[in-house]
Amino acid sequence: MRYNRLHVILFLGPILIIVAVLCGMIVWTVAVSMDNWVGMAPVWKFIGFENYATLFKMERFWNAFKNNLIWMVAFIVPSALLGLLLAYGLSLSGRAEALFRPIFLYPLALSFVVTGTLWAWMYDPEAGVINNILKGFGLGNFIQPWIADPKQATYCLIAAAIWQYTGFAMTLYIAAIRDIPIEIFEAAKVDGASALQIFRHIVVPNVTQATMVTIGMLTIFSLKVFDLVWVITFGGPGTSTEVLGFFMFVATYRQAFVGLGAAISVVILILAILVVVPYSWWSMRRMQA
Amino acid sequence: MKHKRIYTSLCVIVSIALLAVACAPAATPSVQTVEVMKTVEVMKTVEVEKTVEVPVTLTPPPPPEEAKELTVYHWWTAGGEKQAMDVIFKHFNAANPDIKIVDNPIAGGGGITLKTVMQGMLAAGIPPDTFQTLSGSELKMYVDGGYLDPVDDIWKDKNLDTDYPEVVGRMVTFDGKKMAIPVSIHRANWLFYNVALFNELNIQPPTTIDELIEVAKTIKEKKPDVAPIGLGTRDKWTAVFLFDVVLLSVGGADKYEQFYTGQLDPVTDPTVKSAFEKFKELIPYLYPYHGAKSWSDIPGPLAQGQIAMYVLGDFAAGQLVAGGYKEGVDWEAVAFPQQPEEVFLMIVDCFTRPKGIKHPEAATAWLNNLTDPATQAEFTIIKGSIAASKLVPASNYPDSLHQRDAEAWAQKRIVPASAHGALAPQNFLSDWQDILTGFLFTGDIQRALDSTALIMKNYDVAGQSAWYWAK
Repeated sequence: MRYNRLHVILFLGPILIIVAVLCGMIVWTVAVSMDNWVGMAPVWKFIGFENYATLFKMERFWNAFKNNLIWMVAFIVPSALLGLLLAYGLSLSGRAEALFRPIFLYPLALSFVVTGTLWAWMYDPEAGVINNILKGFGLGNFIQPWIADPKQATYCLIAAAIWQYTGFAMTLYIAAIRDIPIEIFEAAKVDGASALQIFRHIVVPNVTQATMVTIGMLTIFSLKVFDLVWVITFGGPGTSTEVLGFFMFVATYRQAFVGLGAAISVVILILAILVVVPYSWWSMRRMQA
Repeated sequence: MKHKRIYTSLCVIVSIALLAVACAPAATPSVQTVEVMKTVEVMKTVEVEKTVEVPVTLTPPPPPEEAKELTVYHWWTAGGEKQAMDVIFKHFNAANPDIKIVDNPIAGGGGITLKTVMQGMLAAGIPPDTFQTLSGSELKMYVDGGYLDPVDDIWKDKNLDTDYPEVVGRMVTFDGKKMAIPVSIHRANWLFYNVALFNELNIQPPTTIDELIEVAKTIKEKKPDVAPIGLGTRDKWTAVFLFDVVLLSVGGADKYEQFYTGQLDPVTDPTVKSAFEKFKELIPYLYPYHGAKSWSDIPGPLAQGQIAMYVLGDFAAGQLVAGGYKEGVDWEAVAFPQQPEEVFLMIVDCFTRPKGIKHPEAATAWLNNLTDPATQAEFTIIKGSIAASKLVPASNYPDSLHQRDAEAWAQKRIVPASAHGALAPQNFLSDWQDILTGFLFTGDIQRALDSTALIMKNYDVAGQSAWYWAK
């Protein structure tokens, strides 16, 4: 069947509408971020980049910014790595894969609110299952305050996110490993390669495309993380686990600094562009190569 | 091929038409005159049948009178709260049987989610007929947005200047106009304690901050497994409740009001500094994992004896009673502090009448019903608060805590609480609770004072709080 202009309009129409709305919202947010909008009702008083200047002077902003960076590193790398290891492990496990794949994928089916509530219970320093298991095994020295300690809390949140997203990375890697022609594996085995050597020299080089998609998706998630922080620690103890998204909510809705909140959104957008665009460009080129 | 094209074109046209229909503005329910063409068969005497087209003007029957409705938004969704709300509905329906209540409960303690929802609805120009808010600075946000109609008519009509304490009126007065109707009152300054533990150690409940520190010290020495003071800063406002009683004990009610309305410089005035010093002395006696707990996690362990004391509002009693713990046996509460002066630290729940609503008469009827002492009396028993109206006697309440609440309401000096949006401006309060929770981990007094001074200046707390001092 040939496609004509009508088809194009018909099929691209909806996505154009969505993109138009999205772009409109972005422009609106940028406009708000340059206005002195404080309070519930809109205030259209242009103040240029003053909101941004205020923001960059705030200790709280840099704290949230730092936490987002921690998220990017401490969440993405382990999730992707664990996902790959699990995928390869499952591919080796033969029939057991059918049993374990849904188990590892299951957390992804939960909403963040459920995950957050579960992990908040588990992390409870006294009643929580983690400390009680440690106690039960006579590992009382390893008992931690977890989310009650400002220094550890962000990493606790990240662990919950890794738990939820490893299955996602795993699924992408399973698909990628299945795409590798079976003959390569068989040839390697005939040549006497160990499972580890196969992983290192066959699997890893052949799943780069999946890695690109995984890292891209996980980056986007780590930039927009909000729910887990909200449910597990509410940004606390103090402001220690606040991320930019959370700070944006507080500034916009609790403090009614709408202009400032919009400025934070724009910063998140710029961060996303800075990370995702070069990454996509780079991965596209690699894919074509 | 040609057919295919035609079909495709047809499909497109139909789709566009459907889209246009879907996008057309929804029919407005106003009465319209519609002109239609009707085919009528007319018999003539010559017995010739002829079909003519006659324009006929049809007036569709007027739509049934718009059902009388009242859209209510509130955050009373927890177990007992919902039943309490049903009491208000019952009284309202008894007086207004023809008005249907459209109930929109939005969960989220202290109205945190409702406020977000309201911000959107009000800005979009689709206000509900009435919604819940806290008094003072929180109410001021809606007033500043120009979203509310004054309720002076109801206030005068129901004689609330005499029925309600003077300060309650002040909490809803902006530019000389009353902007909301207070319904239910919570008291924020209660010190809950475990009776068995206090009996065993033979100690008396503290009345000042110094006594509190002393008692905490004794408990820690004699019962190292018990946390002397409970706290749950996952709800950061709990830190404000604790600091507030410290400030009241150190500086008294006048200083308290001045501080939260921006009249005191936290850096130069010694009161705030000494309050922080006392606050710091409490840190070693706090429940160590408070960052992982919310306010409602503490009452249970308190009644079971794992935690000795807990400073919070009377709503904590609701948790204790719901948990099956008996007042006077498992737990007891005293107003705190009692020196230099015992005050009633007040949190006020109100309802409003927004501008541009669909059913102003129903909203007025709703607010009228809320002022009724009978409604308030029955409602507050279930809600675990006390009535704003002084006409509801202390004997209305079945438990000692709320009886003492109501007595203090009538007799003690009433001071608006800073937390829960009464006295301090919202933007200040949000940062303030972060400063206080952060302080519990660092104990850095100078840093806390500097940050407080900075936000007081940046957010113009003095200017924002001028309403409280307006005559």
